[in-house]
Amino acid sequence: MSNNSTFSSPAFAKRLARRHAAERRFKLIGLGAIVLSLAFLALLLFIMMHNGLGGLNWNFLSGSDSTDPHTAGIWSAAKGSILTMLVTLLLSFPMGVLAAIYLEEFAPRSRWIELVEVSINNLAAVPSIIFGLLGLAVFINTLNLPRSSPLVGGLTLALMTMPVIVISGRNAIKAVPPSIRDAALAVGASKVQAVFHHVLPLALPGILTGTIIGMARALGETAPLLMIGMRAFIVTPPGGVTDPSSVLPMQIFLWSDEIDKAFVQNTSAAIIVLLVFLLVMNGLAIYLRNKFEVRW
Amino acid sequence: MTETKLTARNVDVYYGPKKAIDNVSIDIDNGIVTAFIGPSGCGKSTFLRSLNRMNDTIAGARVTGEILLDGEDIYAPSMDPVALRARVGMVFQKPNPFPKTIYENIAYGPRIHGLASSKAEMDAVIESSLTKAGLWDEVKDRLSDAGTALSGGQQQRLCIARAIAVSPEVILMDEPCSALDPIATAKIEELIDELKENYAIVIVTHSMQQAARVSQRTAFFHLGNLVEYGETSEIFTNPREEKTKDYITGRYG
Repeated sequence: MSNNSTFSSPAFAKRLARRHAAERRFKLIGLGAIVLSLAFLALLLFIMMHNGLGGLNWNFLSGSDSTDPHTAGIWSAAKGSILTMLVTLLLSFPMGVLAAIYLEEFAPRSRWIELVEVSINNLAAVPSIIFGLLGLAVFINTLNLPRSSPLVGGLTLALMTMPVIVISGRNAIKAVPPSIRDAALAVGASKVQAVFHHVLPLALPGILTGTIIGMARALGETAPLLMIGMRAFIVTPPGGVTDPSSVLPMQIFLWSDEIDKAFVQNTSAAIIVLLVFLLVMNGLAIYLRNKFEVRW
Repeated sequence: MTETKLTARNVDVYYGPKKAIDNVSIDIDNGIVTAFIGPSGCGKSTFLRSLNRMNDTIAGARVTGEILLDGEDIYAPSMDPVALRARVGMVFQKPNPFPKTIYENIAYGPRIHGLASSKAEMDAVIESSLTKAGLWDEVKDRLSDAGTALSGGQQQRLCIARAIAVSPEVILMDEPCSALDPIATAKIEELIDELKENYAIVIVTHSMQQAARVSQRTAFFHLGNLVEYGETSEIFTNPREEKTKDYITGRYG
């Protein structure tokens, strides 16, 4: 009885109305935040399409850089990006996954391992230009690998991408319920079998998501590649990972610096190509994640 | 005609500096069900997990004393924990089937141990394991369905079948019915009773009724000590220790 009177009193009704108002306010602000950010994205896309679509033709897609904006094309930079990404993926994915597995499943808890963990977390936050300097010092000046090449670019970006994969990989591995490890060990699986037969397949969707995020970031990187000389003027597409090359964001950077107004169209068209690349990569990530996802 | 399968002598188990099991000595016989009972945190699960070295996976866990399986020290350097766990299987509190098909759940153990050399042999292992676990008739037409799609009680019987599939000598069960409804529990208890012919079974349980129903011997643990161990009928009707009596009459729990 007393409860009923509490919930029907005018004070309670007022309080309830205030709570509903707060809820409506929050929804409005949240919607506003989304609309604002999407509006900027739409504006960017619109400007790029408006400026660039006219320049997107077969000559542009298959050509190489040139001093003449009308013959300049994107293929050499795109191919450089593809080769660089391949090197990055081939190095950072296995290394990152193995490091994540070791740290999460096998490493003994010790000061030393804690130090390694802190270092990897910090590594993921190091500004990319520092990695460029590191690449310049180690891969080019010490190991004498070919300057401006997708090999060195890929190595440098792999250093940057690996910590991202390690961190997301560890989180994905941690999210696999311990009962699955127990189940495997209890039928006599070794630790390595339990991890590779059961834990890793369950963690794979999460690892892949992290990998694609890292790769997408690497695809858009310009600063570290400046340091290793990938800003050269390249008129022939690289034949292999040791040939001098440019990459998509670098091409955008170089063209946006040109004085000739006609390069504006090229810049916008190159941005469209880069965005399509990113879309394809993200689409692939979603496809792989759904393919490997295990339903419980 | 029982024979001793597992022998523990002066076993202490530590988690870091904390002593979870204090000087436990016990003989566990073949062909019967031994129940471990006691209040929460008394160390009964800890002790169970030290019998197949599942405690090895917990950082800081340490076992001293001697645990013998058929007279062999399971903590000796010559004992491979992987081989040990094939001989001493385990069923856990919460059913934990692999998120794979029913068939794959059973086939995994025999496959890694090389127990079946052909598809036909593997099929036979699958059928006999599921039959022994009383699950065959319910799942024989849907072996390629996910093990996780079964009901809780079926999942637990699947886990028992998975343990049986590698032909263990001992089966350890850590509160296998605590996540199940009474009907599923009754089925598991029936199953345990049938299985005891061929295995030494050790079951940790919170339910004294369950211990009384399924076990022939009961060990009562309290604060890491083995307080009393004997025939189940004796423990429940005529306990020697005051503490045991207080626990089984519900004075604390």
